[in-house]
Amino acid sequence: MPDRVILTIGTKKGLFVAEARKSRGTFALRGPFGPGVAVYSTLIDSRGTPRVLASSCNAFFGMKVLRSTDLGKTFKETKSAPAFPKEDGRALANIWSLEAGGDRKDLWCGVEPASLFRSEDGGDSWEMVPGISNHDHARKWQPGNGGLCLHTIVRDGNRMHLGISTGGHYLSEDGSKSFTASNQGVGVGFAPDPFPEFGQCVHKIARHPDAPARLYMQNHGGFPERPDIGVLRSDDHGRTWRSIAKGLPSDFGFPIVVHPHDADTVYVMPLDASTRTCPGSAPAVWRSENAGESWKRLARGLPKKESYFTILRDAMTIDELKSPALYFGTTTGQLWIGRDGGEEWSCLFESLPPIHCVKVAVV
Amino acid sequence: MSPATVVTIQVPAPLRQYCDGASDLRVSAPSVRAALEELERNHPALYRNLCDETGTVRRHLNVFVNASHVRDRGGIDTTLAPGDVVTILAAVSGG
Repeated sequence: MPDRVILTIGTKKGLFVAEARKSRGTFALRGPFGPGVAVYSTLIDSRGTPRVLASSCNAFFGMKVLRSTDLGKTFKETKSAPAFPKEDGRALANIWSLEAGGDRKDLWCGVEPASLFRSEDGGDSWEMVPGISNHDHARKWQPGNGGLCLHTIVRDGNRMHLGISTGGHYLSEDGSKSFTASNQGVGVGFAPDPFPEFGQCVHKIARHPDAPARLYMQNHGGFPERPDIGVLRSDDHGRTWRSIAKGLPSDFGFPIVVHPHDADTVYVMPLDASTRTCPGSAPAVWRSENAGESWKRLARGLPKKESYFTILRDAMTIDELKSPALYFGTTTGQLWIGRDGGEEWSCLFESLPPIHCVKVAVV
Repeated sequence: MSPATVVTIQVPAPLRQYCDGASDLRVSAPSVRAALEELERNHPALYRNLCDETGTVRRHLNVFVNASHVRDRGGIDTTLAPGDVVTILAAVSGG
């Protein structure tokens, strides 16, 4: 019977793990693991005996994947990390996404420069997935401010959605053998053509497993002359997208999160587009309970002023308890919990290193 | 190993876990490039920390032959003489 809540917190200075009982009263913190090295992605893999994986993105000595089989008490490097074939000419710059695959040891990994890798042995060996890594568009994608990264992997049987910044949304319907740019309705504010075939700066894509046709996207918005491109929804497996940003204070932001028990409930963290910080210096999560038709501001317990942090694309998540809690980490090193679906916020840790990513699981 | 070209590679402390804890490795190599290729063959895990997939020495590492940075000599094609010491150090960078 799952009785513990495990949080993984990837920071600029290593990985932290926080653990609490299901009541989520007090979280005990351990780490940093991979000390001093930036962590951009983690995975709490609860298939079978839980394992925790984390990227360890060492600017000096290259990329590593860390693995724990004791719920994040100790970590060891896997036998290898993703690497491009020697003749490819590209070199791995960062690991942005780790996701569980179909089989117990099957893992997927999105990297910078934007490419996809797969491991069939739990992360000890990796193979590049050519359908997207060598896509005809791949050499035409451009890096965003965070680099040219494949940061989002959403699986649905043989269907796979990828988010690439700046490449856009790519869809495979044949088990990742081939991918098609699928960006109808996904706009850009940084090119003459507002709706190109590809090249969008997608920030995050999310969906509920019971409603695979519906996807939510936080795209790079914040362009006054193009107000409808930032927060989007698809109801046809990502073939077409439409704006659901009406009612938000800004359509710019990074994360987007779906409620674990309700596919119509979705959360975003709007940011001021020019500063990438909270509008009016007052942070708030915004929740829609009707798939983006209307939004409600959730800020009870959050600072009311003088807050200038950023919440990065993977730094907000939600647990799967009956009354789920949201969590977000800030670039100023605070980790917040929003109990009762974000109705009541409190700060769990206030002085961590800048936070890149947060994941949670009940194990 | 040909005694005529034996050089010593000094391994930085954080990377000794990738070569059974050795602080020095003796290799026979007429150039820095050849020394790195020797590491790729015999210590692949260590090599992956030093060079990326394209064979380029990682950006934030500095390679010295004796007291000279290889950038001031022939880069990784710097020739080596018997008894030379190749030192690999992490740059002072970061934040």
